[in-house]
Parts: sequence; structure tokens; C-alpha cells
Amino acid sequence: MIMHKTNKLLFLIALFTIELFTLKYAHAHHVLGRPSYSLNEDSNTPPAIQMETQIGDYLVNVMVFPAFPQPNEPGRISFYASHLDTAIPFDGNITFMVSNNSWMNWLGFESLKEKIGVQKIDDNVYRQGFLFKTEGDYIITAEFHAGGQPYIIDFPLRIGARAPIGALGITVSILFLILASVSLIQRKRAMTGKIQNTHEQNNQQGKQL
Amino acid sequence: MTMTHPGLPMAWGISVCLFMALTTIWFFVRSNAAAVSSTRHFDLMTLPVIGSVLHYITTHNWILIVLKLVFAGLFLLIIWAGLFGTPIAERNIATVFTWNLWWSGLIVAVFFIGSAWCAVCPWNSIARWLVHPRLSNYKFSNSLGLKVPKTLRTLWPALWLFVGLTWLELGFGITTDPYATALLALVMIIITTTSMALFERQAFCQYFCPVGRTIGFYSQLAPVELRPQSKDVCINCTSLDCYYGTDKISPCPTHQVMGRMTQNTYCLSCGNCSQSCPYDNVTWRLRPPSAEAVQDARPHWDEAWFMVVLLALTSFHGITMMPFWENWMSTIARTIGDQGRLLVSFTIGLALSLLLVVLVYLAAVWMTKYLCHKTTTFKSLFSQFAFIALPLAFAYHLAHNLNHLTRESVDIGALLTNPLGTNTLPLTMAEKHDRMMDMVLAPNVLFGIQAGLLAFGFLISLLVIKRRSVNLISLDETNQVYLLPMLLFASVMTGAHLWLLMQPMVMRL
Ligand code: SF4
Ligand code: SF4
Repeated sequence: MIMHKTNKLLFLIALFTIELFTLKYAHAHHVLGRPSYSLNEDSNTPPAIQMETQIGDYLVNVMVFPAFPQPNEPGRISFYASHLDTAIPFDGNITFMVSNNSWMNWLGFESLKEKIGVQKIDDNVYRQGFLFKTEGDYIITAEFHAGGQPYIIDFPLRIGARAPIGALGITVSILFLILASVSLIQRKRAMTGKIQNTHEQNNQQGKQL
Repeated sequence: MTMTHPGLPMAWGISVCLFMALTTIWFFVRSNAAAVSSTRHFDLMTLPVIGSVLHYITTHNWILIVLKLVFAGLFLLIIWAGLFGTPIAERNIATVFTWNLWWSGLIVAVFFIGSAWCAVCPWNSIARWLVHPRLSNYKFSNSLGLKVPKTLRTLWPALWLFVGLTWLELGFGITTDPYATALLALVMIIITTTSMALFERQAFCQYFCPVGRTIGFYSQLAPVELRPQSKDVCINCTSLDCYYGTDKISPCPTHQVMGRMTQNTYCLSCGNCSQSCPYDNVTWRLRPPSAEAVQDARPHWDEAWFMVVLLALTSFHGITMMPFWENWMSTIARTIGDQGRLLVSFTIGLALSLLLVVLVYLAAVWMTKYLCHKTTTFKSLFSQFAFIALPLAFAYHLAHNLNHLTRESVDIGALLTNPLGTNTLPLTMAEKHDRMMDMVLAPNVLFGIQAGLLAFGFLISLLVIKRRSVNLISLDETNQVYLLPMLLFASVMTGAHLWLLMQPMVMRL
């Protein structure tokens, strides 16, 4: 059934309102880092995902080892936060959490977070180990409080390689489906045309007789 | 550490401002009547050697087929590398070729060769080969050949798809994700094939393709055009083979009738008309690059919106590569409590940026209407003056992309020998630094070109205002106050672009 224009508008407004309300209203410092792959100049460790960002009063640096973590293989997050003005490292507790990085999450809907651990500073760095059983896209959240304000840092983490065959398979199937359907309709059209032609020819012959 | 490119030095900024001031004076001194002139052309086919080569290329299909095969092969390699190669963006041919070379270089290419890209567009070629499985030209036959529904026969679909592409590029961060780049390429093949299988000719190119429409509009400012050698021959032509095609050559994919063509916007440079014209009457010509935007192109409501949004999106591109953008995102996210990939915050940022430019333009149109006291409708003023947006957008887009092209050098040899980036390591900071320093152009030459481009964009926008106002308002020399709002709009946009260019810009990879 075609939705009436006003209903459509109301539906959109409702959706927008729900979306707004589901967004957690928080006065937290919050940032999302996009990972870039970079070699750490100070170490000879294998490639690491590295993210550097400024959030509130802090400069945050996150690294994930190894660069391409696999399921059932241990990995490690190194987290470093220093005050922008004084360059003094943050000294407190940092909570690391993980959640699924799904479409819902991209739209701002919060997915269930699972705590991985709470870490204390160790040689100016917060280190958090992890081990994922299943491959997929995750969001790691690091949370701490400083100067009476919460700080939340999210960064995406991919565990395991993506499935290239799946993407190719889906594309080929869709293309096949489209072309096959069009071909079928074309044939049907041609048939109808032929039948119509024969019918018209018969009619004309009948008239001539 | 985030690496940034230096911005345009102050001296260049001041030079552009001085140029703007001088041209503004000239703008008011120049008579309105002088703005009305016919465009001069030069027929490239009449040149001794170049003419014959060009004629051979445009009338023989095999060269185009070879080029199409090369581009389609490269495109498939990009998909393959994106799906199976390293996720390190700067080591994978998918991300480097797509975003560093093609996407940046495409706009620069339009400046010289107009919409030539569309002639070899790989997703379009692949779709054609799938729907009409023959390599050479064909009559459109294996498609349902439906007419595009009237509501879709506008540029709104392309406009929204372009906004979507920008969202994917800058919000989703597809430029640093080889896998997502490959997925986008696959999606392009799917939608182009679907459109070709359903609709007549190349409906996707004409109405939906954000890349093609952007190139189409920018190529209004290209110095080349495909036009009839003699209009009279077209007027007396009864077969209209360019429009209907022949047994061997397919018709114009975007419904252009050569004899009536006044703008490049929908020409895909496919060369069908050159091959099908029985009088050999189609030729490539040189012209002043501003001719079409200034006076030849006809205004349309949907096209006007496309141009204004194109300008807004171009400025937005620049904003997102400023070091302060991350902080803005962070502030929006804090305010609304956004989290995860901050896509809601990005979407809000994008919407606000678009809205701002559109509102400033609407205000300028409204003020013009108020000042000129004429019966000219708001819609015609909006559509006519929207051509101002083209040179402003194109100039900044080119200047911005030149930064990517010349400062983010790419090791093409390494990428071609190892397109999947197998067993490669990420770039070290030192390598990134080396690449940034290894510029294709000397910094001052680059700065000069960038400043020149902004000045060029501003100058053309003034010509557009002058010429289009004659169409709409009057040839009145004494009272030109009604031109002020549009002049202000062009100045504000150029000023904003200049300021953006003067800021340090974040390196893409
Ligand atoms: S309009 Fe788009 S799909 Fe068509 S040829 Fe040009 S780039 Fe390709
Ligand atoms: S056939 Fe149409 S799209 Fe192709 S070159 Fe001629 S005018 Fe342009």
C-alpha cells in the first residue's frame, strides 16, 4: 500500500525523534579515531594500528598489536594519554570495553558493551590484552575520568580477514539475477509480440477471404 | 602523528585579494552591453596533422575499445586488490589508484579534456558488455528499454548520490579502506548494470551517476567541445543518426541532438555521433573555457541545485581536511552524545555545511530579487545565477586536488609490481615525510597555480553575473546595485576558499 504523504512525514519525524532519544546525552569528551597503519619508530615490533587524537585536555595515542589480529590469537592495546598543556601522563584507571561494530552502531544506536578490563598506568602506558574467539568488526572503548569529566575514546578493530569471496559471490548473484530476469521478460515480450503478429495476420487473411 | 601540508603563504593570499579588488572595479566599469558577445571557436579538425589524427580517432572505434579494455582491466584489478590485498591503504593499489590518483586527477583532467573519462568509464563498459555482450558498437537490444519515470528524469538522484558518495568518502573513511573501496566498485557495477538492463540508452549516466554529472558540469568550463561543424547541415538533416543511431552505431546515450547542443553537461564523449553522422559533420573545437557557463548553457531548476550543492560539497571537502575538523566532530559528538564511528556527528556536520552555502546563496538570490524590482521570478534568478557556483567550485576543487596530486607522491612502480601489497609494511613516518617532500611541482609553482585558479574562478563568476544579469534584468548601465548580492556571494565563497587553502591540510594517506 502506498503510504500517504503526511503519514510518511509523520513516520520520518517519529523515526528522527526515536533516534534522538536513543542517543545517549552525555557531556563526555568523546572521540572516534580512525586507524592508520604505521611502524612505530621506537620499536622493531611488527606493524601496529596507530591512532593519535586530541580529546578535551588530553592527547591520546593508541596502538594495537598485531596490526591484523586473528581470532584466538592474543593481541594487545597500548594506550597513552598526556595532558595537552603540561605533557604529564594521565595517571588513574582506564576501563577498556568492547562492542560489536554493527550498522545499528554506525547510526548512533548503542550496542551492548562488554568490559575487557580496567588497567592502571605502567611505565606511562596502559596495556590491555585481548583475545577474540570470533572474527568480526568490533569497537574498542577506552574510558577514563579526569578533571571531573569523563573521556571516551572509541576505535574500530577488525578481527580476522574479511570474506572477499562473499562480496564477489553476492555481486555475481545479483548481476545474474538481474540479467536472467530481464532476459526472461524479453523472451515473454517477444512471444507475446509473435502471438499478436500471427493473430493480426490471421485476421487480415480472414478479411481478404 | 598527523602530517599536514603547508597552506598557501600570506603573500599569495594577498595577491588573490588584490586581484579580486581590481576585478571588482573592472566589473562595475565594464559596460553591460560588452558582456553580450558570441563565442569564438577553433575547429581542431582543421589543424594539419592533429586534425587528421583526431578525425581518425573519433571515427574509428577500435582505439576506444582498446582504451575501454585497459580501464576495465585496471578496474577489475582494483576490485581484486581491494578484496584480497593488504588493508594497508597506502600499499594497496585499490585505495591509492582510486583516491589518490583517479579521484584527484579526474577533476584536473576535466580542465583539459572535458568529459573524456565517461568515454572509457570502466563500470559503464562492464555494464554494457554484460547487458549487450558484444565488444564493438551495438544497437541497444538486450535491455527492457523502459523510459525512465518522469519523476526520476532530473538531476536530483545524481545530487543525492553525490552527497552519499561524499558521506562514504569523508565520513565513513572509504578512502583508507581498500576492502570498502572494492565494495563501492562492485556496487557501481551493480547499479549501472541494473539501470542499463531496465532503462533505455544510458539512463544511469544521464540522471544518476554522481561522477558523470560532476564531470559533466565541470566540463562546461573545459576548453574543448564536441559540436557540429556546420549548424546548417544539422538543420537540414532528416535522418538524425546521431540521435537515433544506425544499424552499426548506437544512438546518443544521453539523448543529445548534435545540431541543438549548446552545453557539454550531458555529453559523455563516447564518439557515437562522430561515427554515425553521415555527413561527417561532428568535430572537436577549442573555445574560451568560460563560454558555456557564462552564456551558452541553458538554466534549469534541478541543474541549478546540483551546481549549488556541488559548490557546497567542494568547500566541505576542504573543511574536513583541516586539522580543526576532528575537534568540531568531537564537539558535536559531545553535544549529542554520539559514539561509535561518529557517523551521526559527521552527518550533522555535512548537513550544516551544505545548508550554510545553500542559505547564503538563497539569501543572495532573494536580495537580488528585492533590489531589481522586476517581475523576474525567484526561480529564474536562482537557476540563472547558479552558474556562478560552477567556476567557484571548480577552481577550489582543482586547487585542493593539486595538493593531493603533487604532495602525496605515489610509488606507481611498486604498486604495479605488487598491486595487492603482499608482505608490505606500512609507511614509516620517515617515508611519509619523504613522500610529502618529494613534490611533483616546486612549492612556489604549486602556490602560484593555486592562487591563479582561485583568481580565475572569481573572474569567471563575475563574467557569469554580468552576462546572466543582462538576460534577466537589464542592460541598464547606471544602476548596477542589484548585482551586489551576487558579487558578494562570489567574494565570500572565494574568500572562504582562499582561507581554507591558506590553512595546513591533513595528508590523505
Ligand atoms: S556518467 Fe558515470 S557511469 Fe556514465 S560513463 Fe560517465 S562516469 Fe561512467
Ligand atoms: S553521442 Fe551524445 S554523448 Fe556521445 S559524444 Fe555524441 S553527443 Fe556526446
